[in-house]
Amino acid sequence: MSKDYVQQAGMNKDVRVDGKRVAGKLRFNPPGSGGSRPEMAERDLEFIPELEGGNEPQPAGAHSHDSFRTGTTVGKRTPLVDANAKVTGQAWYGDDIRLPNEIIGRIVRSPYHYAKVKSIDTTKAEELPGVIAVSTGVDAPSKFGVLPVTKDEHAMAVEKVRHVGDLVACVAAIDEETARQAAALIEVEYEVLDAIHDPKKGLLDVDDPIHWRGPYHIGSTNVQKRVFQEFGDRESLEDTTKAFHNGKWKFMGVNHGFTEPHAVVAHWDSNGRLQLYTPQQVPHYAHRALATVLEVPMHQINVIRTFVGGGFGGKSDPFPHEMCAAILARKAGRPVRITFDREEVFWVNRGRHPSHIEVKINANDDAKISGFEIDALIDGGGFASFGHVTSYYNGVLATAPYELGSFHYTGARVWTNKPASGAMRGHGAVNTRCAIEVGLDDIAEKLQVDPIDLRLANLLPPHSKTITGFRITSNGMRQALERVREGSNWDEKFRKLPIGKGIGIGCGFFISGSGLPIHWDPHNFPHATVHLQIDMDGGVTVHTGAADIGQGSSTAVAQVVAEVLALPLEMVHVRSHESDTSPVDLGSYSSRVTFMNANAAIGAALEIREKLLNAAGDILDLPSDKLVLNDRRIYFKKDPTIGVSYLDALHKSQEDIGALIASGAYRTPPMGGVHKGAAAGLAPAYSFSAYVAEVEVDVDTGLIKCTDVWAAHDCGKALNPLAVEGQIIGSCHMGLGQVLSEQMVYGRTGHLQNPNFLEYKIPSVHEMPNVTPIIIESCDPEGPFGAKEAGEGPLLPILPAVVNAVYDAIGVRVNDLPLTPDKVWAAISKKMNREKIDDARDLPAPRLDFSELQKKLIKRSAEHKLRDSRRQRREDEGPYLNGVLFGLDPTLPPEEQDETWKISVKPDSSQLDNLGLAGTAWTKKEQRHMEGEK
Amino acid sequence: MLMPPFELHQPKSVSEACAIAKQLMLEGDEFDWIAGGTDLIPNYKWHINSKPHVISLAAIDGLSEITMTEIGCMARLHDIAESEDVHPIVSEAASKVASSLIRRNATLGGNLCLDTRCFWFNQTEEWRSSIDWCHKCDCGTGADCRVIPNQNELCVATYQGDIAPTLMVLDARVHLIGPDGTRVMPLVEFYKLDGMTRNVLQPGEFMLKITLPDDVADWIGAYRKLRVRDSWDFPEAGAAAAWKKGDRSTLRVATTALESIPRRHDAEVSESNGDVKAICDAVYKSTKPVNNTSLPPRYRRNMIKVLIKRACEE
Repeated sequence: MSKDYVQQAGMNKDVRVDGKRVAGKLRFNPPGSGGSRPEMAERDLEFIPELEGGNEPQPAGAHSHDSFRTGTTVGKRTPLVDANAKVTGQAWYGDDIRLPNEIIGRIVRSPYHYAKVKSIDTTKAEELPGVIAVSTGVDAPSKFGVLPVTKDEHAMAVEKVRHVGDLVACVAAIDEETARQAAALIEVEYEVLDAIHDPKKGLLDVDDPIHWRGPYHIGSTNVQKRVFQEFGDRESLEDTTKAFHNGKWKFMGVNHGFTEPHAVVAHWDSNGRLQLYTPQQVPHYAHRALATVLEVPMHQINVIRTFVGGGFGGKSDPFPHEMCAAILARKAGRPVRITFDREEVFWVNRGRHPSHIEVKINANDDAKISGFEIDALIDGGGFASFGHVTSYYNGVLATAPYELGSFHYTGARVWTNKPASGAMRGHGAVNTRCAIEVGLDDIAEKLQVDPIDLRLANLLPPHSKTITGFRITSNGMRQALERVREGSNWDEKFRKLPIGKGIGIGCGFFISGSGLPIHWDPHNFPHATVHLQIDMDGGVTVHTGAADIGQGSSTAVAQVVAEVLALPLEMVHVRSHESDTSPVDLGSYSSRVTFMNANAAIGAALEIREKLLNAAGDILDLPSDKLVLNDRRIYFKKDPTIGVSYLDALHKSQEDIGALIASGAYRTPPMGGVHKGAAAGLAPAYSFSAYVAEVEVDVDTGLIKCTDVWAAHDCGKALNPLAVEGQIIGSCHMGLGQVLSEQMVYGRTGHLQNPNFLEYKIPSVHEMPNVTPIIIESCDPEGPFGAKEAGEGPLLPILPAVVNAVYDAIGVRVNDLPLTPDKVWAAISKKMNREKIDDARDLPAPRLDFSELQKKLIKRSAEHKLRDSRRQRREDEGPYLNGVLFGLDPTLPPEEQDETWKISVKPDSSQLDNLGLAGTAWTKKEQRHMEGEK
Repeated sequence: MLMPPFELHQPKSVSEACAIAKQLMLEGDEFDWIAGGTDLIPNYKWHINSKPHVISLAAIDGLSEITMTEIGCMARLHDIAESEDVHPIVSEAASKVASSLIRRNATLGGNLCLDTRCFWFNQTEEWRSSIDWCHKCDCGTGADCRVIPNQNELCVATYQGDIAPTLMVLDARVHLIGPDGTRVMPLVEFYKLDGMTRNVLQPGEFMLKITLPDDVADWIGAYRKLRVRDSWDFPEAGAAAAWKKGDRSTLRVATTALESIPRRHDAEVSESNGDVKAICDAVYKSTKPVNNTSLPPRYRRNMIKVLIKRACEE
């Protein structure tokens, strides 16, 4: 024990007067136990779970991490650890990297939609004074792509260019001006091919498909991926349907619109190793692709993730320009920097797929969702990117939060001669979710019931299984719906507002991490690994590969470490930028980081915690399970004055080995079905959300103003409520863009007409509604301290909430996003003509007279509420699978108890004539089955 | 994005500016005037019709006057929007231009002389090369118009300034100055129906100021702007109306962002005997926007009826 402890004078009533020293008033011995506060803080009981003796309520029950809560930082509003660097301009983004002797790279891009590259003459460019290196596709013949199953990209065109803006060659010169001049001097001879722009045409056989997949190619179409899934009982649908919805939707493509354009700096260092600086969400996959394309082993490449000025999925592919910079730098022997113009960002794209989606929903006499059919044709553009996964997500991520009598999905992703679509916040789930939630609004109207009650009476409970076999754990859907209903004063407004004003509901469901990693070699590698290191100074260094892209992953990982070790956040330093020093992490996508990386970090921190407790136990001669960690001190539970400082315990445990080092890893538990595609959409946990939006529609112009949003999101446990609220508000902004104004416009000639931020209309501050974020904490049993994702799921509900609110305001549905004023005005005008109304203000606003079903739904949801709360708290641990609502026995697989219950992943021949638009992709055979046919 | 290099001239007086212009013209050098630069510089960055010389008006004193009857060409839109001395319709229109940041720099002269816009034209050089250029910036290729193909005569790029229609309904006059002296004319005669010619300015001439009639303070009216976002966006359509307080027979209506020029609709107003609905229909008939801005032309044309009606509300 330190001799420097100061006894308090008896001024304070809480101060003991029996001579014992008082916790919280004890000064640490210099150099102290670190941190800037000289005294130990009192244990913050407000942030210790009630079941552990604190005051934090636990309505969703206990969690296995509860006993590691120290009240330090988890659950507290915490500014991001890298916020200072960002607000003071010291954060180093891609284009901030300035290496000595750098030169500037510039990419030569295709002016044609689709063409064969017949020859490239670089002579004139090479002769231009100031040009140091020139490269073309022959320098990098290896293919790459983010998914191992669909590697279809080259650093630069090898044979064909596939969209305007596709990479053809690159140059590096002493300055940007010279590089631009040189790029213009490269002469390329093209043979122009017939381009396709309409994804519907991608389903047809053509002479020259955009890619060729050999025996696996589907006919000679441009279909890159097709999916068929059929689950449940569809045979009796026709007879039992009481209300039917059929919605045909068109969604324009949208781009992430991040602030920072792509930028990369490549440098081969004095040892011949590549140092590549890039704002990547997924540095590890870039690392792999670089090794393949450059033909050097991974350990000879150091990928340095710079600060990322926004990602949203748009910086998660390995990119050709990263290869180009590396190739140019290798040729030049000097660092090469490439920074994109905004237009180039749009040409690289990877934004949300333009989609044609058809949704059919059947509801039966009990207002149960007996039929659920989705057909999604998605426009992939020129490359596969994440599209294989997107093709599944458009269907399978719609299988919750509702209990379904049957599920039928047909999806197809086609190549077209446009910039590639890819992953974007809410990957694959957003468009279908919008169509479904609007469909449910329509079903509710047809059944004359309240759409919130319709939802509340059809929810899957916590700890259940979806129709396709996803394992739902925690589920805060019901609370989310209840909270937004209350917050928005829904019952006083819905179908009661005057014409031009409306209110609408929408829900969301999203994965919290992907169950399977994209790369599964080496076998059974962890999804996330975190290394901790504490040296004698007491500071904790966290090594993680998790890419902080502004979402706050570094803060989250620092928080959980600080929480377990009861250290101030300032004593935890996250090192996550370099692949040389970071353990492999699969990257920031699929909303996996907090869940997986924080779990790994907790694992590592627990190892250190145990060492510290043992050391303290040795010093104090007390068993370590009788000790408590609190703010840089470890002390006897029963008497806080008997204890040691954190540093004393640390130094004791370091006596033999020097720095304390620990490692934690996370891998997902085994789960999911066995059918083809069963892994797509599998996640260790799922987030749920419900939003209510209120809008005003100018009925003369069709302009929509979203005024208020009540946004409830179940993130399990808000490790940092400040960050969760930020994600919710940011998601509202981003989703609002897609629903109201953002679109990638391809004009008459197939050119992208608006590759700039003046004409690509991201909502301004004037368009932002008042957002009331509501955090729902369902306490996920496997999440770190109960946490689940909050980065993508919150985007989903805003789209349907706004679309439904617009219907409530004007009584017209527009199934074509974005809802630009011209479309809304056209729909209003059509209705006025049809109903012979002269003044739009005389339009009838939709009204609702409840049917008998309404009472039935209220009763059922009250019963389900009890069921759900028992299941959430694990008072009922019985199995529950989708179908119980329809009378199935939860203990047996449905197909074993109901003959008409089907599981099928391929249409049988009788179904081929009756498929939706995307489903027609199944009428073609793969080349390997086409022997003798053309 | 890199601007092509140019020589910047910074005259200290109007006469020096005219002398520089005259000298450059004598030497056969092309040049542009630059005021606030918020229109010109983005175009230069995209390599759109850039010139080797640029003459800045920023260093000339006395061009920023703002009174009820006179506004100098260098008056910043922010100052016009904030000024108590400016006619309220004009300051209302100025306050709706682009964003607060841009309004700090943008000027009245620049707004009135705004280059016409078209989504086939306002693109980077690389983008425009992929459509083989267009008539308005053909880079020496004689390229066709991309909006209305197979006609190489008229550029149909759209004038998207906000302030011109308000000054038109207040009967503003423009004062031009150049090497050959000054000219004064009604603003309604300033514009020329072609997206490339745009206005009557001769080489070497620039707009010095606008003046308004002495009784302008007795006029009331409004400006209505159609746009998707309440910041940044150019008007997709705009309408201004003004009349002498208490005398609707003096009603004047002007529109913008529908054609290559802003236009005052005197004929339509007089035909309609002051009936607002009839004016709306008449302007709807006489205006034919084309597809070269964000919103479709059919919609913009229909909206002009709504905008005029709202601008005419008392």
